[in-house]
Parts: sequence; C-alpha cells; structure tokens
Amino acid sequence: MAIKKKRYALVIDSRKCINCKACVVACKAENKVPVGNFRNRINEERKGEYPKLSINFEPEQCHHCADPSCVRVCPTGASWQRKDGIVLVNYDECIGCRYCMVACPYDARYFNEEEGVVDKCTFCSHRVDKGDIPACVETCPSKVRVFGDLEDPTARIHELLSTRRYRVKEPQTGNGPQLYYLL
Amino acid sequence: MGTIRMDRRLFLKSAGATAGAVAATQVGCLRYFKKGRSSAAETKEIPTTCELCPNKCSAIAVVEGGFVKKLNPNPENPKSRDMLCARGNAAIKQVYDPDRIKQPMIRVGARGEGKWKPVSWDEAFDFAAKKLSEVKDKYGPQGTLWSSTEGFQEVFFKNLGLAFGSPNLVRHPTLCLASVNLAYSATFGTVPSFDLLNSKFVIMSGANRFESIITPDTMDLIGGVMERKAKLVYLDPRFTVTAAKADEWYPIKPGSDLAFILAMIHVIIKEGRHSKDFVATYTTGFDQLAEHVKQYTPEWAEKETEIPAADIVRIAREFADAGARALYYAGRRSSWYQNDFQMRRAQAILNAIVGNWDQMGGMVPNAKLPKGEFLFMPWDEPKAPRVDEIETAFPLAAKGDGVYLKLRENVLSGKPYPVKGWMVYKQDPMNSLPDQAKTMKMIDQMDFIGVIDVQMSDMAWYADVVFPESAYLERTDPVEVMPGIWPAVVFRQQVVKPIHDTKPNLEIVQGIAKRLGLSDYFDYTIDQWVEAEFKDLPIPMAAEHMKKHGVWAASGQPSYGKTLNSDHRFVTKTGKIELFSERLQEAGHDPLPVYTAQPQPRNDQFRLILGRVGYFTHANQSNNVWLHEFVKENDLWINPKPAERLGIRDGAYVNVSSSVGSVKLKARVTEEIRPDCVFMLHGFGKKSKMQSLVYNVGASDAVILETAWDKVSGNAAFHETFVKVANA
Repeated sequence: MAIKKKRYALVIDSRKCINCKACVVACKAENKVPVGNFRNRINEERKGEYPKLSINFEPEQCHHCADPSCVRVCPTGASWQRKDGIVLVNYDECIGCRYCMVACPYDARYFNEEEGVVDKCTFCSHRVDKGDIPACVETCPSKVRVFGDLEDPTARIHELLSTRRYRVKEPQTGNGPQLYYLL
Repeated sequence: MGTIRMDRRLFLKSAGATAGAVAATQVGCLRYFKKGRSSAAETKEIPTTCELCPNKCSAIAVVEGGFVKKLNPNPENPKSRDMLCARGNAAIKQVYDPDRIKQPMIRVGARGEGKWKPVSWDEAFDFAAKKLSEVKDKYGPQGTLWSSTEGFQEVFFKNLGLAFGSPNLVRHPTLCLASVNLAYSATFGTVPSFDLLNSKFVIMSGANRFESIITPDTMDLIGGVMERKAKLVYLDPRFTVTAAKADEWYPIKPGSDLAFILAMIHVIIKEGRHSKDFVATYTTGFDQLAEHVKQYTPEWAEKETEIPAADIVRIAREFADAGARALYYAGRRSSWYQNDFQMRRAQAILNAIVGNWDQMGGMVPNAKLPKGEFLFMPWDEPKAPRVDEIETAFPLAAKGDGVYLKLRENVLSGKPYPVKGWMVYKQDPMNSLPDQAKTMKMIDQMDFIGVIDVQMSDMAWYADVVFPESAYLERTDPVEVMPGIWPAVVFRQQVVKPIHDTKPNLEIVQGIAKRLGLSDYFDYTIDQWVEAEFKDLPIPMAAEHMKKHGVWAASGQPSYGKTLNSDHRFVTKTGKIELFSERLQEAGHDPLPVYTAQPQPRNDQFRLILGRVGYFTHANQSNNVWLHEFVKENDLWINPKPAERLGIRDGAYVNVSSSVGSVKLKARVTEEIRPDCVFMLHGFGKKSKMQSLVYNVGASDAVILETAWDKVSGNAAFHETFVKVANA
C-alpha cells in the first residue's frame, strides 16, 4: 500500500464564532494547559460609536506553517515539524530559551512555568493519530473550525477552500500559515 | 509580534548570551515533566449528561486512572447538537475544585461568620431532623419552606418536603421563565419550541441567544443567520454578541417591547397580511384583536420604542411575508418588567396570526418520548394553604413552582402564618433573588436553615447545616425526558467515585427522612428507580442502551403539523388558540395585551439591566477556575456620554446605588450600551469565603436589585431598578 502524503490544516469561519470560549476550555482540559496559559484564543475587534457598532471575533492558535520560523530558530531542534505539517515541541529537547516564542508571528506559544518548556497547539496530534479531530474543532457549538487533510480531495476543507474566498494572516512572513480564514 | 524571519545561527548569535543560563535553570524540570507524560493508565469513555446549566447536553467523559480527564460532546443527542460549551468542558473543575465542601458541616459561630464544625453524616442528619421537628411542633409542617432549582435529583427533595407535610415548595421558574410559560400556555394551551433550524425570519427581544446558550436554539440560529440566509432582527438596550451578529439591531427603549409588537400586529392586520385561513380555522377572538390594536399605530410606537415607524412597518411586512417561517422568539429568562406576561402574550398572538404554528421553521409543540415511572408510596396531600397565597394572588400560575418574591414578602410579614424552617437544594437565594438585604432578613428570622449543595454557595454560607452533594460526574441520577422538536431521553450515570465524603441528594434525603420517620416513602435505591424508568423505553435492552449511549433520541427527525387538523382541541378554554382570552378576563387581567408606558429613569438615574456571557451564566459557575479565567471581576457598563458628564473614567471604581443597597465595582466605559442604562454581570461579590475566586470580588447584582414582579405570573421583574452611579 502506498503511503499517502498528508497535510493538515484548519479552515475557520470567524463569522460563526460567538466567543463562547468552548474551544479554549476544551483545549485546556485535553492538553492539561496550566491556568493562565492558553493554546488557543479568540481575538476581539470592537469598533464604532453608539449605536453604529460592530464586534468581530477571530479564533486563533498555532498556524502550523509550511515553513515555520519557530522551527528555524530553535537551537536544539526541539521545535520540529511532522511530515503531515503538524508543528510540535519535543519537550525533552526544549531548553526553555523561548526564541521560538519571539519568532512566531502569531503569538501562538507560551512558556509553561511548571514544566520549564515552551508549549503550543499540537492540532491535538494524539487525537488526530487515532482518527479523531482536535478538541477545539469537536466541541465548538457553532462549528467554526473545519479540520482536515489538504491532500485529501474529498475532505470538506478542500471544498471550502475551492469554493469560498479566504485569507491567511501575516502572509508576508513567508511562513506559509495553514489557518485559512473564510471571508 | 511583527514579522521576524532569521536563520537559527543568526538568532543564536543575537540572543546567545542568555541562552546558556536559561537552559541551565530548566534542566531540573525536565525529569518531572517526562514523568508526568509517561503514565499509561487505563482509559474509559463513559457517556453522561451535563449539569452545569439547564440544557442537559449529552457528554462523554474520558476517565483515566480514576480521574475525569476530558468531557467530549456526544453526537447521539440531536438536541445538544454535538457540542459542549465552555461551562460543560469546565465541569471537570467542579469535581476537582479545592473549595468544595468535603464533609457535612454544622455551624458553630454566628450565621455567615464562617465557623464550621465538620461532622459525621449521622450527626448532620440527626441535627436537621431535630430542628425540623421542633419547627413542626411549634408551627406545623407548613412552617417549613423547601426551595430548590431544577435538576434530575430535585424530585427527591420536593418529595421530602411534601412527605413532611409542607405545601411550601418553591422552585426557580418565577425567577426565570414563568411569564413566558404562562403567556404561551394561555394562548396555545402549551409552551412550544421554536424551529430556528428552519426559520427564515427571526425577531428577538433581549434573550441574547448567542451569549445565553440554549440548545439547540443557539446553534441553529447562528447557522441560520450565517449559512442559510435567515434574517435576524434584534432588540436590546445593549450591543450584545447577538446584536453584533444580527442583520438589524435596535437599542429599544427599555420596557417598550410590547409597543413594538402591538404596532407590528396593527400593521399586519391593517394590511391584511395575516394568515387568514389559519386564523379562521384555529383561533378565536380575531375581531376583538383587530379592534384592539387599531390604537397602536407605528407612529405611536416610534415615540414609545425609539424605533422609527418606517422600520416597524417594514419589519412587520417582512415578518408576515415570511409567514409560517417567521418567528418572534420567546426567550427564556423572561423576568424583566411588571408587564412581562402581557408582552410575551403579544408575541404569542403575533406568532399565531402569521400562521407559524406547528410548521417547519415556526413554533412547534413539543414532542415527548415515553419512559417508565418508579412507583413509591404516596403521602397525604399537605393540608395547609400555601404561604405565598398563590391560589388567590396568582390563580393562573403554576402551583407546584410557587411564587418566590411574594413568598418572601409573606414569610417576612409572618402572614398568613409563620415559616421558620428553610431547606434549600441546589439554589442560592442570596444571589438569585433581588434585594439581598431582604433575603438576609428572611434568613435572620428562620429558626433553622439546612442547605444541600455541591459547593459552598452564599446560601450555604448562611446555613446551620450543610450537606455536601456529590458532583454530577460522581452520581447516577434519574432518567430525564427532554421534550422538544428533537426529543431525547437522557441518562446521567456515575463517571467517577466521589472524591470527598459527599452523597447524592437521594441519600441525603433518605438520611433526613429516616430520622423523621418518613423512610417508607423513600424505600428504594437510585438503581431501582432508574431500572423502573428504563422499563418503558420502547427500545430493546433499554438499560444496556442507556448505559452504553447515555441518550436515546428516537428517529431524531422532527414531525410537523400533528395539531393542524380542524378537529384538534387546544388545551384552552375554547379549544382554540386564544387571541382573546376569557380565562384572563375572568382572572381580572387584560384579555388582550394593553400597553402602559413603563417609568423611565430621570436625569441622574440609570436603569440596571442584566444579562449573560456564554462562558458562565449562573452564580454557581463564577468560582470555576477555568471559567473565571475569562472574567475575573464584574464591572459596570456605562455609555461614554453619561460617564463624561459624571467624570467617570474607564477602570475606576464607582458606587452604584438603588433604594435597597449600594455596591462598588469598576466602570467599563463602553459604547455598547444605551446612555440611560447600566449593566453588570451576575455571580460576583460572593459572601462565601469558600468561593475563593469571587469572594468579595466585584459585586452582586442582588444587593441593588429592587423587588418587583409581573402582575399575572408573579415572575420577578429584574429590569425595574433605577440606580445612581458616582465615583467611589
């Protein structure tokens, strides 16, 4: 059997986000994220003067970039990327220097004081490897996130990215972010 | 973070001086870290039913080494729409909360002083039974009050109160949705669900469905608005998340929603846009309604609501054109104004005349599923009349639920008779009732207070004895039928053993009952109770199914139109949908909704309005560490215009005072609220030191809310309080 290439990505429909924080707490539980740290977040943009107002929410986490600057700057190789695109930290090799935190254009990493290592979203690789979807994707009440394999032409993210307009954040960094925000 | 791009060597060179030092300090941590990750305990997945709010979503608990590691949504329950919100996810922290009550406790200091003696269950039961008996000897069984909030084990608590002989059970509805329930019942003979999954045009007064999460409504509406091109018109003095997602938002003048609805009915009837066939076949009183609403023109309503007449006319037309797929959404916590019942009645009438009853995308009478009943020994009906005088004061209200605020008034006055014992289950009257000082007076005049709760609520803090209940993840509960468009039967089974010396409510009730000589009424186990309920589920191997799946949802497909045949009798006096209600008239109320303008705040006053955020709703969730991370302290929303006038700066402390109390909290100067209103979140400023994250942090709205209620339902009117705001 030929080994199929995989490339995981996330498509995000921010308009459906109601800022309920289910994704944030689900991630916290799933990944034992310490209180005060977060692997994902919901950015808020509030604008206007009463009564002409707007609020926009934008869920964000590690963009699992194609050419991740965090991996490039890591002095020990602790930050690394799987063949399927998931960017991880090898905790045994992390020396807690935090260069990667500075290098990340998305502020997606945090320093875990308890463990003395840098940590971040793993796309719940432990769930994905069992055929499940990431906790943040699964728990979402309005199903804002769609997770899938870009190499799989039958995946829903394929359909979304080929039929809808989208943007990525900070494309000028050359990191090749893999969080696709639908417009 | 900018756009940094450099290769590793360059980066090391620029920051290398400190790298070695940092590395050296971290090495020691690595071993600990590896140890934490290498545990290979057995993992189990156990389906259960969430209890953090009343939605009762189906969840699957992932248990590792006897600990709940994660709660995942259970896709088998169509009502919970394959999701678990922040609160549901944070239920783990309810179990592992260091503030939990870890054993029964009896008060040794003054009430509220926080001096407790840990006691055995026997001591706690003996104490409660002795005190309850003393009250009974002096004042009769009606001298005890049994108050509780909905939950699967509430039935046992209510049964104890009844078996004890007290008619005075009081539940949460008149602090929540009693007015909406009564208004829809008065019109349709039942309270329907709203098919937001298929609706094309939705109008919502307040309700804030994108922050006040109700399943499946929240999920269906966000999908409707964002994917299926449904239109949402939203009225709220505050720019909520729902307002932000709506197609049109109107910061309506508070208390005037009824004027808006009556003007819509006026336009629809005047222009003949109502569903004539439906009105003729299924309703009664249309001619009286048509005559009645002639006075309520859009131009008149503009003055009341501050919504332009042209918009009211346009919205009325669009609404009527959407017909069966148009919905004026009822909302849930309908405790706002003293005219609340009539405002909800007007919504019901508007819905009726466009013919959305029992239609896809309209209002749908709830479908139910069968389950068995455990037959227990019945007791004699309590003989005394209720202390809240519900039969005479609110003849249409649900007697089994009681009317909370009237009840408090009567207990305080001692009329019609004294009430001196108070048992509380899963409820925090200190925070859920307005005017906390009054609740304190009620506490003061009690000879005995016993509280059963998972956590040390403010009410528990003022009790004489506290019985710690096991958290939902530690219990098996009765089976519950969830009626709705997508009905389901849900089961909550024990996921982990209790980690402290706690008991499920049934065992607490049995402990007290035994010492009161009432054991015969509670002579069963939870397993026997549940087995009896499983028996009549029309599925093979029902018990096995429910234990394995946690839910049964029949086909999961909605059925519409079952009541749409001309022979169908609605459960109303006339058997029709009652636009005009003789029953209301007989009870001394307006048979058609009559508008009276609500008082408005004067120059230096603001109306205090309440609402929710998605990540916590009830006072019992604010001390959950995973939810507390999002709001550490509540603040007072105030518009920049009045803030400037009063010299109030964003983030500075202000005093907020009403006629009944005063609180201090931080100002949030924000455009997202009407200039004549202020807003604060519920659940802060706790008095209980065992709510350590929110003890004395922020303020409780209950301190400044004044007592007022809806005339027909007795529902608390929470938006009737005017406050003054000044720099602290």
